Amino acid sequence: MDPNVILSTEDLHVKFHLRGEILHAIRGVSLDIHKGESLAIVGESGSGKSVFTKTFLGLLDVNGYLDGGHIWFRMNDDDPDDIVDLASFQTEKDWLRIRGRQIAMVMQDPMTSLNPLNTIGKQITETVLLHNQVSKEEAHKRAIELLTDVGIPDPERRAKQYPHEFSGGMRQRVVIAIALACNPRLLICDEPTTALDVTIQAQILDLIRGLQKKYHLTTIYITHDLGVVANIADRIAVMYAGDIIEVATCEELFYDPRHPYTWALLSSLPQLGIKGEDLYSIAGTPPILHEGIVGDAFAPRNPYALEIDYIERPPFFEVSPTHKARTWLLDPRAPKVDPPEYIRKLAERRASHA
Amino acid sequence: MAKYLIKRVARSFLTLFIVITIVFSLLRLMPIEGYFSNYDKMSPEKLERELARMGLSDPLPQQLMRFYGDLLHGDLGVSNRYRAGVPITEILRTKFPLSVAFGVASMILSLLLGIPLGAWMARRKNKWPDHLGTVFIVFIEAVPSAVYYLFIQMYGTDIFKISMLFSRDNPRTWILPVISLSLGDIAYYGMWLRRYMVDEMNKDYVRLAVAKGVNSKDLMMKHVFRNAFVPLVQYIPSGLLLTMVGSIYVESLYSIPGMGGLLVSAIQAQDNSLVQALVIIYAAISILGMILGDILMTLVDPRISFVKKEGAR
Repeated sequence: MDPNVILSTEDLHVKFHLRGEILHAIRGVSLDIHKGESLAIVGESGSGKSVFTKTFLGLLDVNGYLDGGHIWFRMNDDDPDDIVDLASFQTEKDWLRIRGRQIAMVMQDPMTSLNPLNTIGKQITETVLLHNQVSKEEAHKRAIELLTDVGIPDPERRAKQYPHEFSGGMRQRVVIAIALACNPRLLICDEPTTALDVTIQAQILDLIRGLQKKYHLTTIYITHDLGVVANIADRIAVMYAGDIIEVATCEELFYDPRHPYTWALLSSLPQLGIKGEDLYSIAGTPPILHEGIVGDAFAPRNPYALEIDYIERPPFFEVSPTHKARTWLLDPRAPKVDPPEYIRKLAERRASHA
Repeated sequence: MAKYLIKRVARSFLTLFIVITIVFSLLRLMPIEGYFSNYDKMSPEKLERELARMGLSDPLPQQLMRFYGDLLHGDLGVSNRYRAGVPITEILRTKFPLSVAFGVASMILSLLLGIPLGAWMARRKNKWPDHLGTVFIVFIEAVPSAVYYLFIQMYGTDIFKISMLFSRDNPRTWILPVISLSLGDIAYYGMWLRRYMVDEMNKDYVRLAVAKGVNSKDLMMKHVFRNAFVPLVQYIPSGLLLTMVGSIYVESLYSIPGMGGLLVSAIQAQDNSLVQALVIIYAAISILGMILGDILMTLVDPRISFVKKEGAR
């Protein structure tokens, strides 16, 4: 494993038992997460982005299980050999070494993420005490510091209050404080702003970005909102039907996307829409994951699909050292296809800015 | 909180006042036979005299005022027929403590067994402990209690080698009635605690707690159990008070001289004074149970508050 990589999945498969059928939710994902970066995983609902990151914490629902693959995780920056395979973890004892203290999570809905019967202060100190050998007073002091860090005014008083006395944005700040109380090295933000209104969204994103620097965190954002991604991510992984189909830096993905699905996603961004024209929408629906998927999962919805897309799954083609995509269009034998006009305009617009 | 409590108690007294007034007035409409055990043989003059002696010829408001006056001194009147001439407080003095003792004992037993049952079932949801518990709960809830009370008495007395009947001096005769009384509540607490715990376990804050590294034991105790117990807390005082007034069937099975059958006997005997005294006691106990339940709720759940808080969102 590259010393810059903190977590690396290797051909990871996740399946679910669902009403007597087996659902193949993650279909062989290999992805490296680099130390200190902020990676965004984008995809539509049901593409498997949440499930993918849940495997890092052993948080799959009871009917879900890993069906092959590895999740290599670097436990210690100073010891290059201290690497564990999270996919091999079976017992709670194993997971308690990871949950919170190595990898922490901020969940989507702050309104329900906090225990309604405990004070905010107690919920943070509980977490501090779990992961640090400190006295109660010190833990409380740390909790107040954390509340200050996440921008909660008058933290001493607020710590004594209960979740229902906080607004949604404030609660999400508390959830972030709890995540940080663990002193994690990797922070997973599962749609951290989806449940919040737009003005608060920006504040929360700013906050996470600031804290990432302060605490030297590696962060993974899960989102379906490319607008959010553009603001925060160093790298973007696009997920479709349980597979990552394109990985690139933020720049490359927005201005030189290669996979037809990424083209379609970008074309349907309302922020980039052209006044007076209909907003683009992707035809069809995502595939049903319990049917065996042959070839490129996106092929049936893809106007650029080649015959081979229905027969064989495309491998990753490298566009640049930091950019690869899973589409046969990148094969040297493939016919030359121009991206839709809209995507070309995006690149031109940028060139004119530069 | 104090202000709310005073209001709440005052309102309860108002309710109690209305209940007493209605019951008292309605009972005055009953035929006067109920006041005498030898009505048939009494001459009209003697009837007049007796009614006047008991104050029953006075206008209703006057009777009511007198009744309230006595009530404030703790005097519930005198039994007319059930045990003619004996003060009602005297009748209750031996019966009430016995029913209370059985009520408290069975309540403790049902909490002691029902809570672990529910928690155990929830933790092992859809595994054999859960199925076993469900069988028990369905049995207790579905089979009329009279049926298993009888079986407990038949086989229990064999197993423990004790007599069928309750005797105050033999502590072992307490066992079977207490078990019988608590089975229903064990099933009740087991069923609802399991259900509320399963609900809580699927909530986001529990997922977050797992993600932050809380181990499953702490998770169950500090988060899931506590939160799941809140809705049950409200029921506990009423449940306790209602078991304290006795169970007709269990008390008659073991011939326990408790409160259980008293109301039925009083009504059958047309003993108006005893009926009104018992109705007042039952009403007071229900009202008290509800107040205590609500107070307990505010103590365990910070979201429920009777006072408007400043700066609350």
